Order: sequence, then structure tokens, then C-alpha cells
Amino acid sequence: MKRIIIDREKCDGCLNCNIACISAHEEGSNFYTVNLQSPDAETRNFIKFDVGKGYLPIFCRHCDEPECVLSCMSGALEKDPVSGHVQYDENKCAACYMCVMNCPFGVLKPDKKNRTKVIKCDFCDDKPDGPSCVKACPKQAIVVKEVNL
Amino acid sequence: MNSNFSCKTCASADKKLETFISNLSVDTSHHRMEGQSIKCGFGLQGICCRLCSNGPCRITPDGPKGVCGATADTIVARNFLRAVSAGSGCYIHIVENTALLLKKTAANKGAIKGKIALAKLAEIFEVNETDEHVCAEKIADLVLADLYKPDYIKMELVEKMAYKPRFDRWKELGILPGGAKSEVFAGVVKTSTNLNSDPVDMYLNCLKLGISTGLYGLTLTNLLNDVMLGEPSIRLAPVGLRVIDTDYINIMITGHQHSMFAYLQERLIQEDVIEKAKAVGAKGFKLVGCTCVGQDLQLRGEHYKDVFNGHAGNNFTSEAILATGAIDAVLSEFNCTLPGIEPICDELKIKQICLDDVSKKANAEMKPFVFEEKESQSNEIIASVIEAYQARRGVVALNLDAEHGNDDTLTGVSEGSLKSFLGGTWKPLIDLIVKGEIKGIAGVVGCSSLTAGGHDVLTVNLVKELIAKDILVLSAGCSSGGLENVGLMSPQAASLAGPKLRAVCESLGIPPVLNFGPCLAIGRLELVATELAEAIGVDLPQLPLVLSAPQWLEEQALADGAFGLALGLPLHLGLPPFVTGSSVAVQVFTQDMLNLTGGQLIIDDNAQSAAQTLDSIIEKKRQELNI
Ligand code: SF4
Ligand code: SF4
Ligand code: SF4
Ligand code: SF4
Repeated sequence: MKRIIIDREKCDGCLNCNIACISAHEEGSNFYTVNLQSPDAETRNFIKFDVGKGYLPIFCRHCDEPECVLSCMSGALEKDPVSGHVQYDENKCAACYMCVMNCPFGVLKPDKKNRTKVIKCDFCDDKPDGPSCVKACPKQAIVVKEVNL
Repeated sequence: MNSNFSCKTCASADKKLETFISNLSVDTSHHRMEGQSIKCGFGLQGICCRLCSNGPCRITPDGPKGVCGATADTIVARNFLRAVSAGSGCYIHIVENTALLLKKTAANKGAIKGKIALAKLAEIFEVNETDEHVCAEKIADLVLADLYKPDYIKMELVEKMAYKPRFDRWKELGILPGGAKSEVFAGVVKTSTNLNSDPVDMYLNCLKLGISTGLYGLTLTNLLNDVMLGEPSIRLAPVGLRVIDTDYINIMITGHQHSMFAYLQERLIQEDVIEKAKAVGAKGFKLVGCTCVGQDLQLRGEHYKDVFNGHAGNNFTSEAILATGAIDAVLSEFNCTLPGIEPICDELKIKQICLDDVSKKANAEMKPFVFEEKESQSNEIIASVIEAYQARRGVVALNLDAEHGNDDTLTGVSEGSLKSFLGGTWKPLIDLIVKGEIKGIAGVVGCSSLTAGGHDVLTVNLVKELIAKDILVLSAGCSSGGLENVGLMSPQAASLAGPKLRAVCESLGIPPVLNFGPCLAIGRLELVATELAEAIGVDLPQLPLVLSAPQWLEEQALADGAFGLALGLPLHLGLPPFVTGSSVAVQVFTQDMLNLTGGQLIIDDNAQSAAQTLDSIIEKKRQELNI
């Protein structure tokens, strides 16, 4: 099972992971063309800055015991038993935002435009060349590792 | 060499070079591409600003404006105009030095090798002087006087040089340039912190800088050099790493200011200097061409048969040329003198001398060129090159590639030599275009880069697509250095052209890609285009002619591009010039420009689809001309 592992010491706060994530969810776009000013531009990963501590990349951990899944009453969030990734189905979502409140990492948020769905990492649909954010990180502050559970 | 480099080098259209570089034990740009493969998205889109300490600001979904309120449109336009100003400054530096040299050469009754160029300039500038030295000095003075005007006084030679319909349009748009140096200054001021924030005003300013860059930095640099150095003439020449001859003391030259080498070049083939070379075991001295100054020497090679051994390669071949171990010294006076040559020169004991501090390398000897001291300076340079030769030859391992390149690249093409090749008139070319034997012309110009597929990859693929569509390609800049090394400028490349262009090339014995030499010669392409338009009686945007800088590299290329757009020509770029983060920029360059100047930017890094787009533009222009 693949996970994104974070090494916060290496993060420079360049936000390339944000751009990559937005681009991965804008059909047909690339780093040149992705529209960062569109109301649909939503990143599924975040970089926080703490004075003294530096940059903190916040990424979905696809937790072993995901609080988001446990708190979801409509079945919109499910943990895939094969990939181990926590997937979100917009059609089943009741927009109650219990998951947003329960994620211990604060990585979930309602969408900006309509506030009718949750913005969540989909592990880039497990595409063969790996998550877009990881490929775009110049510092290898985020890497994909195989974990055995 | 104590380096910690990747062993995976980037692709090159030149497969022999790719192999050569991948086997090197020194670090080159081709090795470093991999380590720089992850690019910053804000940089690529041009939406990062670091004009003040509240920044750097980047445009993000949560931060749609900079702290000061600058929008993406403002930030992109400021960055772009800054880059165009810097690029213009580079070319204006070159023409300024060239004009100063012509002035001094003329005042000292030095050789005037290009009588035709002198007569042509005298006619354009309306200088009536029978004495050629007085005439040349007046011409230089007129150029310098324009360059040094303030920005609020228009340059006088613009109207004399520009094609009338273009001049009129520029006047209507209010983009006639003031003094070229001051315009660079104005561009820098305008783009500083909390000054101009009007993107459209800044893009019009770019066009203005394009005009001063093109007419002075490009066109005039060529013509002034022609006066001093002799006009180009068409001939076949060897190119590639094969031109390096280890029997000689070899000096690689990099830069754009060819006239700075004029005296040294002659000195290198004088008897007493050859004797000095013989005394240390060499047959004499040879200059090995690299970057645009090499392209320029190649272009005028007819005048320099003894001292110039040929053009070895473009900007991103320079490290490989040094890595052959057969180069004893590098003389540089401008870009593209890559910082990457420094450790290679140290490792291989290659002497570095800079003639102009704008291209000072950290570990090089600085010897600013002084016209009055050219005799003693040349002797000192020769002495230190001999010293380097003695210290390194036999000690440093050689790693040559006699197979690289070819012996039959057609060079020496210019507005003058091409016209005389055609019999002193453009009519034969126009007839071929009217009959459709040549569908149109594409100027494939500018730099070489390692992006867009790798070294020269997009350039070479695009050119192959274009000639297959019966479009004649004229090339100037490092793009020509790549195109010639892969054989596209050899007569047998005609077989790669479409049936009609192929027949034309075979009957004339020419390749389908004509080599105009350095990037400065983009100014010569403009002269060709203007003369064709004049002969047909149309304005430039009506010609079945397109421009492409598939692998544009740097700020100068952006200033060239601004000239192309001011001329009203369709301009293709492989990669966007860091403007796609602004919808206004995209709108201005790809749509509104058509109404402003007739020009248009096309961005496409796919050779096939880009060639199709350019082909359909040419077809459309043919239809509009009823041909
Ligand atoms: S959203 Fe939060 S709780 Fe759910 S899997 Fe991701 S990190 Fe874990
Ligand atoms: S894996 Fe894909 S969806 Fe998840 S944060 Fe990275 S780019 Fe976004
Ligand atoms: S791309 Fe990497 S270095 Fe940049 S902000 Fe994201 S995690 Fe940090
Ligand atoms: S000038 Fe404006 S956009 Fe630029 S760094 Fe300063 S505050 Fe940010």
C-alpha cells in the first residue's frame, strides 16, 4: 500500500505541490495553463508556516483508522481495502462536514465555490506515474513509500 | 574532476553529440537538466513578484493579488517588460560597441571591407560623401547619436530604415522609439515597485523596445559589421566537432561582437605569429566557432579562410567543444558564455580571457578591448594562449569526434548574397512563391535550449515538418548551429523536403534550410522580408511568411520576438514566455496583436501541430493575395 510520507524539514514552502494538485484536477491543464484564479482552483494539500518551526506540509494520510470515514454517516467516504486509500464519493455526500471536523490533520474542507462538497485527496486516482504533488516537489519533502500493514 | 553530476544527459536532436556528451567525464548543461527538471509553477506562469520586501508574492487561489494589490495581469506584464528591456539592453550594447568601433576604424583609416554595405547604408542614411572613411564615420555617428538620444526624442533613422507601411502603423500606435539606451532605462523604471500597473501600456512598450532592438541591435549591427568585416558570400563549409584540428593552437570564441576580434584575427595569420606557434610545435593558430560570433565568422568565412576552421556548435555545444581537450583558450565578449565552462576550463587547463566585462567569467582574465591598444593587447593574448598551449598539450587527454558534423553546410546567406545568387533580383523567388513551388517562408530563428524535448529537438523536428510542406526555411541564431550540425543545411537535405521544394532545391543545388548565421541576422531576415514585400507591393503581415523561435532561451530572444510582433508577423514559440498566468497577456499576444500590428503569438511545443498551424497561416495569406 502506497502512502505519501512527509519530511517537513525539507519543505521550502514553494507551493509547487498546491499547483500540481490543482492542475491534476483541472482536466487537460499543465503547469503553464492551470488557472490558479478560477473559483474551481482547489488544492487538496496545504502548506502551513509556523514562525520558529518553518513549513509544515499538510497532506491526507489515508489513515489506517480514518476518522473521516468513521464520522461519515452517508457512506461518501470509504477506505479501499486494496489500495488502502480513502476515497470520497461526491454523489453520496450529504455535506454535513462531520469529516471536516473530525480529521485530526485538518486536511479536509468544503469547496469554496458552492460549499456543497468536500475537497479531499484522491491520491490522484492511483495513476501509474504516482501522485502529481510528489512529482512536483523539488525538495523531496513528500515521497511515496510502500507501507505494510 | 570532483563533480557530483547525474549520469543521465538530456536528449539532443544531434544524436552523435548526445552520445559524445553522455560519455563525458565533465559536468555539462546536458547533465544538469535532470537535476533541474522540477520547475516552479509560479515561475512558469510569470506570477511571482519580488519587487519589494512584502514579497515575494505569488498568485494563488487564496492569494489572488500581491500584498500591494498587484494582480496576475500586472505582475506578468511587469516581469515581461523587464525581461524585454534587459534583452534590448543586450542588443543595444552590441550595436553601440560596433558603431564605436566603426567610428574609430574609420577615423584611423582602417580597412573598409564591405563597400556594398557602406554604399547601402550611405543611401539609406542619405550621407553623401565620396571619401569612404569620412562616410563610414558619419554613418557611425548617426547611429550613435540616435542610441544616445533621451527617450522623449524619437530616433531619426527609424523612418529611414523601416518599411513605410510599418512606420506609419507604429506612428499611429505611438510606439516609435526614443533613444534606444534611454528606452531600456524607461522600461526598467516603468516596471519597478508600485509604478506602472497597466498591462496593455506595458505590452505596447515592449513593441517599442522591439522596434529599437530590431532596427538597431539586429539590422544595423549586421550592416555596420559588413562594412568593417566584409559582406557574407555563399559557400560550403565544414561544421561540428570535426572542425577542430589538433595540429593548431585552438582558440574558441564566444559572443556576439565579432568586430572586436577583427585585428586579432589578422594578427594570428601573420608570419611572425605563425613562427611563434611553430616554435612550440603547432602549425599555427585557428579560431573555432561557437555561439553567434562563430556563426558570424562562418557567414563571412570567405574572408577568413586561413584563420577560421569552422563553426563547431551552438551555445549548448560549447561545453562539449571544450571537453574535446583540443581547445587551448576561450575568448569571450558577450553571451552565450555559459558559467558551466568555468570548471571545465580549470580542469582542462584552458585559458579564459574576457574582452568585455559584460561576459566576465569568474575565473577568467579580464582584458577589456581597447581599440587604441589592439596591437599590444593582441600580442599579449597570443603570448598567454601560447603559454596555455605549452602547459596543457600532451598533458590533457584528447577526446575528439571526427565524425561529428559535416563538410558541406551551405553558409554565407544574407539579404545581399541571396539576392545576387538569384541574379540580383528577388523576382525568381517571388515567381516560385506565386507558382506555389515554394509555398511560403518560415524564419526559424533564435536560440537553442535544452527544454521542449531536449537540445534542438523541437527546432529540428519543426523544420523537418515545415520543409516537408514545401515551406522554405531561413534560419538565424543558435538554431542554425543545431540545424547545420544535423545536416539540414547540406544540399542533400533537399531529399527531406516536399516534392516541390525539393525540385527547387535540387535544381539550384541548395538545401531547403538557408543559413543566415547569428541571431543578429534576424535583422537580415527582416531586410529580406521587407524587400520581398516592397517588390510585391504589400505590407509585411500580408506575406506568406511566418517566424518561429521554437527554442527561444533568454531575454534577448524576447526582445527579438517583440520586433517580430511589431513587424506584424505570426510568431511561434515552443514554450510560453512566462505569461500564461495572465489572461490579459494571453489575449493581447494571441488575439489583440492581430489588430494592433498584424502579428500573433502561437505557442505549441508539438512540432507537428505547430507546423500545421504555421502552414495554415501561410495558406490563408496566399489566398488573401490570390496566389
Ligand atoms: S481526510 Fe484526514 S482522517 Fe481522513 S484519511 Fe485523510 S488524513 Fe485521515
Ligand atoms: S495525491 Fe493528488 S490529490 Fe492527493 S494531494 Fe497529491 S496531487 Fe492532490
Ligand atoms: S512542493 Fe515540496 S517543498 Fe514545495 S511546498 Fe510542497 S512539500 Fe514543500
Ligand atoms: S511589489 Fe506587490 S506583488 Fe510585488 S512583492 Fe511587493 S507587494 Fe508583492
